[in-house]
Amino acid sequence: MMKPQLETQRINAFVDGELDLVNQLEIEERIKLDAGLRAQVDALRQLRTAIREDAEYHAAPDALRKRMAATLAPEPAARARPPGTVVALQRWFGWRPMATSFGLVATLVVALNVVGLRSAQDDRLTDDVVASHVRSTLGQHLVDIASSEHHVVKPWLSSKLDFSPPVNELQIPGSVFLGGRVDYLDGHPVAALVYRQGEHVVNSFVWPDTGKDTQPDFSSQRGFQMAHWSQAGMAHWVISDVNREEFKVVVSAVQAGGEDH
Amino acid sequence: MPDDETRRRFESLAMPHLNAAYNLARWLTHNDHDAQDVVQEAFERAMRYIGTFRGDNARAWLLQTVRNTCFTWMKENRPVERMFLDDAADDAHELAAPVTDEPPAVAMRKADRQQINHAIADLPIVYREVLVLRELEELSYNDIARIAGIPVGTVMSRLARARGLMREALTPAARPVLRPVPRTTQGGGTQ
Repeated sequence: MMKPQLETQRINAFVDGELDLVNQLEIEERIKLDAGLRAQVDALRQLRTAIREDAEYHAAPDALRKRMAATLAPEPAARARPPGTVVALQRWFGWRPMATSFGLVATLVVALNVVGLRSAQDDRLTDDVVASHVRSTLGQHLVDIASSEHHVVKPWLSSKLDFSPPVNELQIPGSVFLGGRVDYLDGHPVAALVYRQGEHVVNSFVWPDTGKDTQPDFSSQRGFQMAHWSQAGMAHWVISDVNREEFKVVVSAVQAGGEDH
Repeated sequence: MPDDETRRRFESLAMPHLNAAYNLARWLTHNDHDAQDVVQEAFERAMRYIGTFRGDNARAWLLQTVRNTCFTWMKENRPVERMFLDDAADDAHELAAPVTDEPPAVAMRKADRQQINHAIADLPIVYREVLVLRELEELSYNDIARIAGIPVGTVMSRLARARGLMREALTPAARPVLRPVPRTTQGGGTQ
């Protein structure tokens, strides 16, 4: 007879699916005959369900995301220097004609770094959006939740994310809403809404954004049409391989849907 | 300082697990401010040691750092909890109290959200961590063992005991005869 302590542990491991096959099957057999054991297993399952459903899951707050983003920002000697320092440097060098050219070079280096870093960040997001779109169209992972109804997809996404994205079918001919998935862009979990436009897949990414509303900024990248804008506190990035004219229609429809959520 | 390449690699490895990291730290420290500090410190530490990451399981690797940072922080800032930490870490203690591992066969009353959260928060930290890792992060015994730095056998015994304590706390008939659960002796500090 096994010590009760160890037996309890074994039953816990059984409920967790952590026993090897032989032991797992043995307990399954015993459960059929032993009502006490069955009650114990049921009680453990009930507890697990209660905890998983009701215990609070503490998602990282925005403040922490911002702190982490700052920690992970590219290294900075140049970038972090306030403009005042640059001006002072110029002035200091200005007094020494011999050194003026160095001063100019230093200023230029700083300025180029600032511009370079910013566009590097945008490029990276663009790359990530393209990569995510391509991955999704390769077939394995287009949607996490397949449904053509926004009132099924929206609550599902809201439960997986710490925000509630606008979710809408697009009110244009030839558009089919395929569903949504959770993706990861720009240091955030984001909502990806997936549509089919004719034969083409459209990915529409959404995440919270504190900026003002902006008009769509269109670009094309490696054959994909892209647009991004801010609307009602959300950043939107839309990407597809439809043609340019049709893409504008799609973007307008996404914008129209972004108003009412 | 880590170069940009390191930062980028770290970001892609670690940021997807920020919620898990914060959730663990929040449950262990009991409050938002401390949890944020612990996570930040843990991530900075992890970034410095990213060279030691062998690339098999970023989540467990990162949570291990968060967990260790939490415990170091608790020892420095929460001496009372530390007592229970040392106490509960002694498995003889678990064997000395077998009765709590035997859940009463009566059905647990349907507990509400608040009761469940309180019951978890009141668990001694070594039980709380295995329970949170198992039920909220849905990690395997192996991953939990790695994160908590204990053998799989200890994961099993602590998890069984954690659930026994949860059932005690949530079963109304058992409540009046409860031994004092450690956190209630601390006089607040929760949340």
